[in-house]
Amino acid sequence: MRNDELPIAGEDDIVRSRQRARDVARELGFGMVDQSRIATAVSELTRNVVRYATDGRGEVLIRELRSPLGQPGLEIVVQDSGPGIASVDEAMREGFTSGAGMGMGLPGTRRLMDEMEIDSVPGRGTTVTIRKWRR
Amino acid sequence: MARVPILRVRDLLVATVQEDLRDSDAQALEVDLGLALERTEAAGVIIDVSVVEMVDSFLGRLLNDMAAQAKLLGAQTVVVGIQPAVAITLVELGLELRGIRTALDIDRGFTLVRQLIRQERLRGTARAQ
Amino acid sequence: MTEMRNREQFTADNDQRAEMIAQQRRTISEMETPVIQVWPGILALPIVGSVDTMRAQQMNETLLDRIVATGSEIVLLDVTGVPVIDTSVSKHLLETVAAARLLGAEVLIVGLSTRTALTLVQLGLDLTGVTTRATMAKGLELAFGRLGLEVVPRRRLSVDPEAAEL
Repeated sequence: MRNDELPIAGEDDIVRSRQRARDVARELGFGMVDQSRIATAVSELTRNVVRYATDGRGEVLIRELRSPLGQPGLEIVVQDSGPGIASVDEAMREGFTSGAGMGMGLPGTRRLMDEMEIDSVPGRGTTVTIRKWRR
Repeated sequence: MARVPILRVRDLLVATVQEDLRDSDAQALEVDLGLALERTEAAGVIIDVSVVEMVDSFLGRLLNDMAAQAKLLGAQTVVVGIQPAVAITLVELGLELRGIRTALDIDRGFTLVRQLIRQERLRGTARAQ
Repeated sequence: MTEMRNREQFTADNDQRAEMIAQQRRTISEMETPVIQVWPGILALPIVGSVDTMRAQQMNETLLDRIVATGSEIVLLDVTGVPVIDTSVSKHLLETVAAARLLGAEVLIVGLSTRTALTLVQLGLDLTGVTTRATMAKGLELAFGRLGLEVVPRRRLSVDPEAAEL
């Protein structure tokens, strides 16, 4: 079962991470549109890290999943030890897709994925977990 | 740095994106287009994204900005070849890119940009030739 | 050893079953989205029944693929057969319009009843840029117009064809 770990240190890693996520999605049998959704979500999340995390550093974990019923899925965790998101609720509210700061692009990413969890402690860091299941 | 090549075809500029762009590559394209428009006084711009498999909010907004920049410099922009998967993703992201005109392929793109240039000329705001 | 093989067999069976279900779902989706080319450059998509998120997504995928395959620039989306057009359904329809637009195609929505139109306006949806017509016929007329075409009655022969042969 695929379990990849990629560091985020600069903008090149945004491209690397989204390409790897797409490759794994393709391997798992996700269709073209889902591959695009997944690549885009990873791009949004890793860009957040590069732009707003401390030193722009973090990491991406790409994990293959299998549901109890045998459905294949993909889980991607993007984490950093940056400033954190002051208000996750506010970041998730519609209309937060424009503007600057950590949390940008989160509502859009949520729409692209089946599941999303945000763990953020101001001053310590943020962990965003997204999942998509193959139909 | 992978610079997107910009070709001049008569009074048009054609930029063909050939790979997954880094943020800085996309920003460089915006700058290069602006410079090229100033230098050539082109009346139209075609941005070909037919091999692009992913357009996220950053690139999407940049495309909007490129079209707006071109307009300020008196040129019409058409983005061609947005793939179905990309179109669906953009719309789901909430980016409808209303600020850009689009065409299915470069052929139709040429036809559309000519039409837009003609319309602008009639309105009297296009560049004089 | 046997236990391991049984577990592997169980996983394999599950995989097969999941694959079969996925395939059946795809077939049903394709059947549900009959995209018809009514004229070179014009596609028609009649929607019958309710439109949920999954169906809308399938619909969009099929429609966009057909736009690319046929090079069509106009899509007539017929919603006469959709029983309830509420906020969620309208959002799906607006997404279809937006996605097709990114491929350079214009979506005309036909078959909206006056009552539905009023409801949509009252719901406060942003319908700018959305063109609608009450019937498919009117939609077709507009579509032809966009392509620079016009349907006119065939001209009657002013001369007797037999006499002309002499």
